[in-house]
Amino acid sequence: MNLSRRELLKMGLVAVCGTVIPLSALEILTPEAAASLIHPFSKKKRWAFVVDTTKCVGCGMCAKACKLENEVPFDTEVQRTWIERYVQLKDGKVIIDSPQGARYGYTKNDPQGKEIKDSEVAKGLFVPKLCNQCEKPSCVQVCPVGATYKTEDGVVLVDRGWCIGCGYCITNCPYFARFFHPITNTADKCTFCYHRITKGLNTACVDSCAFGARKCGLINDPESEVFKILSTERVSVLKPEYGNEPHVFYIGLDHIVR
Amino acid sequence: MSHAWRPVFVVLAAIVFFLVARVILVPSDFSAKNGDYKYQWHRLSSEQYWKDFPVKHKGMEFCGMCHVPILEKLKGGGHQNVQCENCHAMFNPEKKSHPIDLKEISGYLLNIGTDRSRELCKRCHAELPYRPSTYTDPKKGTVKFKMIDPDKHNPSMECAMCHDVHSAGFKTAAK
Repeated sequence: MNLSRRELLKMGLVAVCGTVIPLSALEILTPEAAASLIHPFSKKKRWAFVVDTTKCVGCGMCAKACKLENEVPFDTEVQRTWIERYVQLKDGKVIIDSPQGARYGYTKNDPQGKEIKDSEVAKGLFVPKLCNQCEKPSCVQVCPVGATYKTEDGVVLVDRGWCIGCGYCITNCPYFARFFHPITNTADKCTFCYHRITKGLNTACVDSCAFGARKCGLINDPESEVFKILSTERVSVLKPEYGNEPHVFYIGLDHIVR
Repeated sequence: MSHAWRPVFVVLAAIVFFLVARVILVPSDFSAKNGDYKYQWHRLSSEQYWKDFPVKHKGMEFCGMCHVPILEKLKGGGHQNVQCENCHAMFNPEKKSHPIDLKEISGYLLNIGTDRSRELCKRCHAELPYRPSTYTDPKKGTVKFKMIDPDKHNPSMECAMCHDVHSAGFKTAAK
């Protein structure tokens, strides 16, 4: 067979194109991707939280309600949720504190116990904190006995009957959301009030917030307020650089917040 | 058989021992949901433990079953979003002062009492330079938030002397 230079190039190009197209068409279609063709967004049940720091007045009612609801001894210095105060002075100095986890609220302009004049304050904000219920929780990965886990709907829980109290998870949480429970002697953390949300109730902290600064809901449910906020407003998460994929979203954070 | 096989038997026996011990020691409901051994390896019964945890805060609808006039007053005023338990749940069990034992009659677990201290009101109403000056009411929209300087505003007097904390207004002269 005689081939001209022109024909060789032509047929070669056809052969190359012919092999490339089927390869791209053979990309594996995951069930989620196939489902997304039918539903515009994932139907996966997943709890998430929204904190609007612009609404938080620092009354600490959430911290109080959380302690009472979840049987965390009131007078101990451990808490499942707490409110941090960030105050920037006019000379640029930033003061951060959270006296007693703010369970008695903020009643004075006295960051870190030192009273300051109102005129010295450049700006300030309250930042409620709680467990971020990460998609990739680093606390779960380090548990040597399988006593902490993520539920199917995305809440990280501790198995109190199986925890040996080694404390690896407490030191591994980038958000300092875990602590050692003084009565059960196990690791403890925010559960998004799993006993309440699974019964259709709001979490204790959401219920006790008179200003609507906290919201808990299903991230993929178009009816939930969390979905509405996440899909229309500007939100951010704390410490995204850790790669934990936290599911507590904040409105109105500042660069002084850590 | 060659003596060289002996260590192999020892290793096999160790493996069998490990597997038997594992079956006995690991609870039967230990499993990984969705095959996710990284994050979902746990005792399935633990999920039920957290689901069965007692609910304590029952909200204003629960209190309103008896305290009908107070709930009405509350809903008509500026404190309509404040739950009864925010102020009336006592973290100190000795301050419990509800005349009826709620635990006995309805399984209600919080200690209910009355806190008349200024500290309680100051949690929201003390003026701080960084405390938001307005708040969003679901019905009325943006509302000015009433804040006072506790050192200048009638110091040492109980807030409830003048203020009706349920209606968030002033106490009427008739009372």
